[in-house]
Amino acid sequence: MDRRSFLRTLSVGLIGARYVDPTNLFASSPEESTILSIVRGDDVTLATTKALEPLGGMSSFVSRGDVVIVKPNIGWDRTPEQAANTNPHVVATLVRLAYDSGAKKVKVFDNTCNTARRCYKRSGIEEAARGAGADVFLVEERKFKTVDLGGEVLKEWLVYKDALEADKIINVPTLKHHTLARLTISMKNLMGLIGGARNLLHQKLDNSIVDLATFFKPTLTVLDAIRILTANGPQGGNLADVKIGNTIAASRDQVAIDAFGASLFGMTPDDFPHIREAHARGLGEKDLTKVKTIEQSLS
Amino acid sequence: MAAKKKISKLKKSRIISQTVFLSIFIFLLTKTEYHGRDLIAYPVKVFLELDPLILLSTFLSSHTVAVGLYLGLIFVAITVLIGRGFCGWFCPLGALHDLVGSLKKQKKKKPKEETRLDKYGVKAKYYILVGILIAAVFQIHLVGILDPIALTIRSFSVGISPAFNYLVHGFFDLLYRTDIGAVAAVSEPVYEFLRNNVVSFGRPSFQQGSFIGLLFIGILALNFVRKRFWCRYLCPTGALLALISRFSLLNHKLESEECNDCKLCLATCAGGARPYPEDDWRGSECVLCMNCHSICPTQAISFKFGKPEPSARRTDLKRRYVLKAGGVGLASLAMFRLNPVRETGDALLVRPPGSVEEQEFLRRCIKCGECMKVCITNGLHPTFLQAGFEGIWSPILISRIGYCEFNCTLCGQVCPTDAIEHLATEEKQKRKIGLAFIDQNRCLPYAFKISCIVCEEHCPTSPKAILFEPETVITDEGEKELKMPVIDPEVCIGCGICEYYCPVGEEAAIRVSSVGEDRSEKNRILL
Repeated sequence: MDRRSFLRTLSVGLIGARYVDPTNLFASSPEESTILSIVRGDDVTLATTKALEPLGGMSSFVSRGDVVIVKPNIGWDRTPEQAANTNPHVVATLVRLAYDSGAKKVKVFDNTCNTARRCYKRSGIEEAARGAGADVFLVEERKFKTVDLGGEVLKEWLVYKDALEADKIINVPTLKHHTLARLTISMKNLMGLIGGARNLLHQKLDNSIVDLATFFKPTLTVLDAIRILTANGPQGGNLADVKIGNTIAASRDQVAIDAFGASLFGMTPDDFPHIREAHARGLGEKDLTKVKTIEQSLS
Repeated sequence: MAAKKKISKLKKSRIISQTVFLSIFIFLLTKTEYHGRDLIAYPVKVFLELDPLILLSTFLSSHTVAVGLYLGLIFVAITVLIGRGFCGWFCPLGALHDLVGSLKKQKKKKPKEETRLDKYGVKAKYYILVGILIAAVFQIHLVGILDPIALTIRSFSVGISPAFNYLVHGFFDLLYRTDIGAVAAVSEPVYEFLRNNVVSFGRPSFQQGSFIGLLFIGILALNFVRKRFWCRYLCPTGALLALISRFSLLNHKLESEECNDCKLCLATCAGGARPYPEDDWRGSECVLCMNCHSICPTQAISFKFGKPEPSARRTDLKRRYVLKAGGVGLASLAMFRLNPVRETGDALLVRPPGSVEEQEFLRRCIKCGECMKVCITNGLHPTFLQAGFEGIWSPILISRIGYCEFNCTLCGQVCPTDAIEHLATEEKQKRKIGLAFIDQNRCLPYAFKISCIVCEEHCPTSPKAILFEPETVITDEGEKELKMPVIDPEVCIGCGICEYYCPVGEEAAIRVSSVGEDRSEKNRILL
C-alpha cells in the first residue's frame, strides 16, 4: 500500500467512523461488494468462463506481463471421474483465460500426496494444462525456501519458490469430503504450495489453513464443484461416492467460497472452525447473505 | 610392444558387439522406471531371460519357469555352435570387465609359466557352479548372488545408479544454487532432460546400497589383479557355458609352422584358454575375445568350425573336487534351513504385492533388484538376513522409506522369475501384503490428545481401512472432540502409506507388519 492510498483509506475510515454506524462500516466500504459468482451447467469450459464475467472477467485479475500460478488440487493418483483432484478442464480454461489477459507465464503445480508423476498424469491436469500452454512442473525439494509466514501456528516454513515469486495466484480447489477438516475447499488447497513436514499441520489444521490463506491471499478463487466427492475423502476412489454437482463458483473472497462450498453440503459456515477463524481475522465474509451472489445457469 | 597396433576385424566386431549390448543394457535399465505409463515396455529383465544359468537353476529350484526364461535356450544353442560368445560378446559385466581391464598397464615382460592362481583358480568357478546347482536341487536358490547379470542389475539398481543420480542431482543443484541466471539458463534444461530420461526421477537410496555398490566396484577392481578375474575364476554362468562349450563346433587353431613363439597371445588372452602352445589350449576357457587372433604378428591363429575339442584339451576337473563342492553345497543346505523365519514369518518381511508364498518366493527370487529399481516410492529394499541367508538381498517393503503406491503394479511386471507375479491393477489393490497396527503409546490422539488422523486421510482403499471414532476428551483448554483412528483388518491391505505419512518421527505410530498377508497360510491373524 502506498502512502496516498493509505491516507485515502485512513480518511475514508475516519469519516466513516464519524458518520456511519460502526457495525455497518464494513458494508459501506468499497470491499463490501464481495461478489460470489455461481454458474450451473455441465459445459465445464463455458461454466468456468462465465463464472468470471460478473467479476469483471480474467482481465480484472491478470495484468499484461504477469506471472500467474493456477493452483489446482493434483494431490492424488486418481482419475477426473473419481473427483479427488480439480477438474482438468477447469484448470485448462483458467490457463487459457490468463494468457488471453496477457499473462507472461502461467504455472501449474502442486505438492502432491501420492507420487507426483502419477498424480500429474492420472488427474489429466498435466496434459490439459500443458495443452493450454501452461508451464506444468513437478515440485522439487531444492526449490523450497524458508520464509516467515507470520501466522499464528505457522511461523518459519518452507514455501515453494514459484509461489513466492508469482504476481498472481489463482486458487482452483475442488470441493470434497475430508474427515478432519470435514470438507476440503479453497483454503486447504493452499497446502500444496508449501513443503516441509506438512503432516504435522493436522495437529492444528484449522489455524494452519487460515495462516496459509492469510499469507498467500489468492487473487481469485475458482471452486470446481463439477464432480463432488462426498465420502471417503480426500482421495476417494469409489465412483459411488461421487455426485455430479455441475457447479463452478468464483470470487475474490476465499472465505465466501468456502462458505458456499459448505452450503452445497447442507452445512453452515459456522460448522467449520477454519471459516469462522478466517472471518474473524478479516480475511473475508462467511455470511453468504452479506455477499452479492450472482447466479447463472447454462441450460 | 612389438605387436602391430592394428586390430583384427573379428576383435573389432567383438568390441562393437559388447558396446552395443552394454548400451542396450544401460538403456533398458534406465527405462526400468515409471515413465508416465502403467505398463513398462522394455524392462531390463530380458538380459536375465537370456541367461541360461538363471533358466537352469530356477528350473531346478522351483520346477516352474517363467515363460520369458526360455530365451536362455538361445545362448545354449549359440554356445554349442560357437562357444562362449555370451561371455565375450554379450555379457554386460564382461564388457565392463574389459573396460576396466583396459586401464591396467600391460607388463612388458613375457608371461611366465602358469601361476598357481591360473592353474587352480580356473576350476573354482566350476565348483561354485556345482555348489549352486546342488543347492538349487534342494530348493535353496543362491544363483542370484553370483550370477553376472543378476549381480550387475542389482549392483546398478541399488548401488551404482543411485550414486550416479546423487552426483548428477548434486551437481545441478550446485549450479542452481549459484543463483547466476546465465548458468541456470543452460543447466536447468539439461537437468530437466537428464531427469526425465537418464537418471532416476527422485533420489532413491537403498539399505545396503553402498555395500552392494562397493562390492561391485571391488569385483571390477579385481581386473587389476588379473584381467577378467571374475570371468576366469568365479563366474558360475561362465562355468555353465564352459561345460556346454565342450561340444562347441568352433575351434581355435594355431598353425605351428607360422608361429614365431612370441607368446603375445598368451599374455592377451581374456580367459584362461592358453592359446599357446597348441597342445595347452583349453577351449572351454575361451570367451571368443579374439585378442589372440588380433595380436598374432604372423596370423598363425584362426578359429575354424569342425568337430568338438578332444577331451584332453578340456579343463580338467577332478571328480574328487566336484564331489567335494557338491558336498559343501549339501552341507550348507542344513545351515540355510536353520532359519526360524521359515516357520514363523517375520514382521518386517513385507513382500511386494503379487509375491508368491514365502518358500516358493525364495525358490524363485534371484535377487536381481529390478523391483527395487522400478519401485516408484523407493519403498522396496534388499533384505539383509530377515529372510535367512538364502533370502539375502531379496526385496522387502520398508514403508517408513516408501509405501506401496495403490495404482502401481510395476514390480510384478519386471520380475523375471515370477517370484512377484504381475497382477492386474484391480487385483493388486485387493492383495494384502500385511496389516497396519496403531501404536497407541505413540499415536498423537491416543497418547497426547492431539488431533491428527493423517493416516486416515491417506488410506487409499474404498471404503477406507482406517476409520475413526470420535471421542470427547478433557484437556487444559476444556472439552474437545478428538478423532481416534481405528483399523479395519478386513480392509487393510498393508500398503503402508499410513506409516509413511505418520507425523511421528523415526518409528511411526502406525506400522505395517507382514501378518495377514494373503500369500501365507501360516502368517495369519483373522479367523
